[in-house]
Amino acid sequence: MFGGFDFDVIERSWRYLFFTGMSFTLRLTLLAMAGGIVFGTMLAMMRLSSIKPLAWIAGTYVNTLRSIPLVLVIFWFYFLVPYIGAWVLRSDTPIHVGAFASSLLTFVMFEACYYCEIMRAGIQSIPRGQVWAGYALGLNYWQSMGHVVLPQAFRNMLPVLLTQTIVLFQDVSLVYVLSITDFVGAASKVAERDGRLVEMYSFVAVVYFIACFALSQFVRGLQARIAIVR
Amino acid sequence: MINISGVSKWYGDFQVLTDCSTEVAKGDVVVVCGPSGSGKSTLIKCVNGLEPFQAGDITVDGISVGDPKTDLPKLRARIGMVFQNFELFPHMTVTENLTLAQIKVLGRGRGEALAKGLALLDRVGLKAHAEKFPGNLSGGQQQRVAIARALCMDPIAMLFDEPTSALDPEMINEVLDVMVQLAQEGMTMMVVTHEMGFARRVADRVIFMDAGKIVEDTTKNEFFGTPRSERAQLFLSKILGH
Repeated sequence: MFGGFDFDVIERSWRYLFFTGMSFTLRLTLLAMAGGIVFGTMLAMMRLSSIKPLAWIAGTYVNTLRSIPLVLVIFWFYFLVPYIGAWVLRSDTPIHVGAFASSLLTFVMFEACYYCEIMRAGIQSIPRGQVWAGYALGLNYWQSMGHVVLPQAFRNMLPVLLTQTIVLFQDVSLVYVLSITDFVGAASKVAERDGRLVEMYSFVAVVYFIACFALSQFVRGLQARIAIVR
Repeated sequence: MINISGVSKWYGDFQVLTDCSTEVAKGDVVVVCGPSGSGKSTLIKCVNGLEPFQAGDITVDGISVGDPKTDLPKLRARIGMVFQNFELFPHMTVTENLTLAQIKVLGRGRGEALAKGLALLDRVGLKAHAEKFPGNLSGGQQQRVAIARALCMDPIAMLFDEPTSALDPEMINEVLDVMVQLAQEGMTMMVVTHEMGFARRVADRVIFMDAGKIVEDTTKNEFFGTPRSERAQLFLSKILGH
């Protein structure tokens, strides 16, 4: 079956695939994860806030973005952000937003919705008595969130947060629609150039499988180790 | 010290507290008892504003709890509270549990907070466990740490919400001993408990609640000798009957 397979194309291009493509994918994944978790946690706190307008804004935001396919959001952001930026800055010409900045912003805003729901579940999993205990000691809302609730919520949810990050790692390949050279983008360029579509896309699939499978095994191991003794 | 006047509270249409009034003078130990669902835990949580109430007012050391202008965190820092389920922070060591609020709320230095925490830990007999996590301690030990944690803030009064209800029987006394000692040192205490032995030993007054109302509010001797209400007589006969 692999008789006609040209492994040579991989050998010729792997440096480009990994050092240009994969390094972009990883950079975008890690930055989007960090931004997404921070923004998502803020959204979760808003959704759980007793201040109704805050809860409403966060809820609407999350539900709206989760109802739109990611690829549309990527497009939409890439083509509209220059004009929105121009409008905000009162500039006459569309501002220049690089593909990396645009896609990072998109992923942070989009993934924050999913991280938000995870953190919301995490915050709600902390018994009410823990919050009471914090308040009874004189901690204010931010202190009790920062020292009591979020560290526990974060730890409880770490496996789910990482699983979502694995999904994000795969989703990042969608930036290929913006002709960005991520891992898939790099592979497709080589594939087109050398006419080796089957080889390149199979190789990409195998790499994604190995990376994601290894990560999810790691998450499973982690789950057992980090459980808080109650 | 603690003044509760005409407090009523509703959860939606359901009234949990009806016109509750009482007071706890400085140095007094007041035991609150009554059947479950009678509102005693809710009442004690109103005292430091953990539960909001819709009518009446509570003042602690002259400061109104219900007043929206009151700096509640500041007031709460002066009132110690011990919970039924201990509520130690499970992701922190015993030492971190003891020093967190001292540092963050009172602004004490790390060294000062640690010294204070260890002294109080020693007082509840757990100095050897300073670096353990709460999950590695027994229920009785956790509750003693929780008492030490509250005492670290130099409270003007202590609230206990069923401190021994979640404990195995053989651990109840180690917690009660600490509480008795505190009472004898003159700490102002409001204690929700079913431990009538504790009430007999150290209570100045006993409050009996039923269906969200304070039914009896009398001295210890009167309560155990001649409870006036039928409801309290029934409660006592059940709880002391064995």
